[in-house]
Amino acid sequence: MTPLLETENLVKSYVMGEEVIHAVNGVTLSIDHGEFVAIMGASGSGKSTFMNMIGCLDIPTSGNLRLDGTDTGQLDNDALAEIRNRKIGFVFQQFNLLARTSAVDNVAVPLIYAGLSRPERQEKAIDKLRAMGLGDRLQNSPAKLSGGQQQRVAIARALVTEPLMLLADEPTGALDTQTSLDIMTIFQQLNDDGITVILVTHERDIAEYAKRQVVFRDGKVIEDKPVKNRRRAPANA
Amino acid sequence: MRRLLASLSGWGVNVAIALTALRVNLMRSILTALGVMIGVFSVILAVAIGAGAQVSVTESIGALGTNMAIVVPQPDRRGGGPPSERGRLTERDIRQIVRQVPGVFSAAPQLRSTVQIIAAGRNTSTQAVGTTPEYGAVSNISAEEGRFIEDSDVNSAARNVVIGRTVAGDLFGNFDPVGESIRIDRVPFTVIGVLESKGSSFGTDNDDLVIMPISTLRQRLLTTPAQGPDDISIAFVGFDDEAALIAGQKEIKALLRERYRVPDGKINPFTVRTTTEIAEVTGEATQIFQALLVAIASISLLVGGIGIMNIMLVSVTERTREIGLRMALGARRSDIRNQFLVEAAVLCVIGGGVGLMLAKVAAEAFKRFADFPAPIGLGVAIGAILFSAIIGLIFGGYPAIRASRLSPIEALRSE
Repeated sequence: MTPLLETENLVKSYVMGEEVIHAVNGVTLSIDHGEFVAIMGASGSGKSTFMNMIGCLDIPTSGNLRLDGTDTGQLDNDALAEIRNRKIGFVFQQFNLLARTSAVDNVAVPLIYAGLSRPERQEKAIDKLRAMGLGDRLQNSPAKLSGGQQQRVAIARALVTEPLMLLADEPTGALDTQTSLDIMTIFQQLNDDGITVILVTHERDIAEYAKRQVVFRDGKVIEDKPVKNRRRAPANA
Repeated sequence: MRRLLASLSGWGVNVAIALTALRVNLMRSILTALGVMIGVFSVILAVAIGAGAQVSVTESIGALGTNMAIVVPQPDRRGGGPPSERGRLTERDIRQIVRQVPGVFSAAPQLRSTVQIIAAGRNTSTQAVGTTPEYGAVSNISAEEGRFIEDSDVNSAARNVVIGRTVAGDLFGNFDPVGESIRIDRVPFTVIGVLESKGSSFGTDNDDLVIMPISTLRQRLLTTPAQGPDDISIAFVGFDDEAALIAGQKEIKALLRERYRVPDGKINPFTVRTTTEIAEVTGEATQIFQALLVAIASISLLVGGIGIMNIMLVSVTERTREIGLRMALGARRSDIRNQFLVEAAVLCVIGGGVGLMLAKVAAEAFKRFADFPAPIGLGVAIGAILFSAIIGLIFGGYPAIRASRLSPIEALRSE
């Protein structure tokens, strides 16, 4: 079976004045279907830039990126938009929900771009929100939801197009400890159900919920190892 | 097929997104729409006023008398020379015109003098028109009260006068002036009738005049006598129809050249103008007037459009993060572009719609209070709405394209 994600000598560099900065400097990595990977590193280590590239949000300077067997280097903007829409679900640190927009309508946004009709969008969005335990918060706007609830709306939104993988950039960064555990539990359950989860974090204990840890420093992978004593939150947390 | 369906449902969604975004910044949206509203309002009103001017010109030409030729001798610049170069016109010429030019049903001479009228202690200054009874038929004018001048008045140079509405009002107020005595330049006259009102055309009051027999004017009022005993200053020639008028214009010229023995190659010592020509010239003038009005009004629409562009650029900047998010969730560049285009178009159509309604109200007010028709046709109304949408697409285009060109990750990172 081909890996879900393969990078080969991936490089992202920026020109700052006369200096060239290699944010990601030759990363070769392979991630299979069903993995739960935590990407770690200090700020400026290149982990977020790497994440943006595998999320097709940012274009690599050089190197190859194969996603589900497709070489993304050959794709135009529209095709990349379609990959983001169909194959990837994003979860952000700041949730990035649309203000003054109900939970259902927030979750339904990706389905607009998938070309679904309004009734279909509503139905799928409500299903995902119920699965996230937000069945009684469907019409609430983000301002009327707690941080944890907002992040669960965001996860519902990431899942609504049934993507192959979830990319989460510091998903617990804006949450308190208990809420962070709740969110990690959700990720573990989703991973148990078969979805690939790739998570960027600088918190060591959060990374211990993953199955595999990849550590970045100065744009390179310096460590890539399975998690030995994997944490599992209680299912009812 | 999927793309097609997506783009169709996408437009509906874009309208919903646009309405939400506009509601969020309600005050700003209203002010922006106001610019377009004023622009559309002034353009529509300019078109309507132009159309109204056209209508009133047509009516004014009608007031002159339809299918009429106006013959005016050219004043002689050197004060001498042979008759062929001296501009002259006489009552005999008129009789010849009626006799010889086909299609002429009547013709009337005119002499004019500015006069001072005194009656019942009030006085007014007006134009005295000396003419014959034919004037009524040719100029499409008649007495509303009393009677018009008759042949017997002309033959006896009677001191009878028919006065216009304005003069009647100035001198007698609401009293019936028929039968009253008045003094015109100190000569006593009897008012025999009041002319029906002809309103005003081109800013001139058509009711500010008195009409009397041409013989009376010539003998009693003219201080500097004309060249000959039956010289006149203008002849009005009425034709049966427009075709006869057009043919008759040449006939009159030929006849007069012959009568005054104007050699070939010499220019006419008179002019013959027709109401058709006057209508054409004034019609052109009103069109130029309308075009000018619309051009000036378009400037305000342009300013409104620039306002739209300005606000859309602000909106794009403010919502950069939202644009990045939508791209991350799968929005194509065209989706983002369309979202902002629709937002600008919705603003413009709302502004244009309100502008149209206000223009309708203003046009109605013009009609009611200024007695000036300013018609707004269905075509103009639909055109205005479509034009507003186009303004939105043009001025929203640059901001929308700018939004769609953003890099997803940079947009997402912006604060």
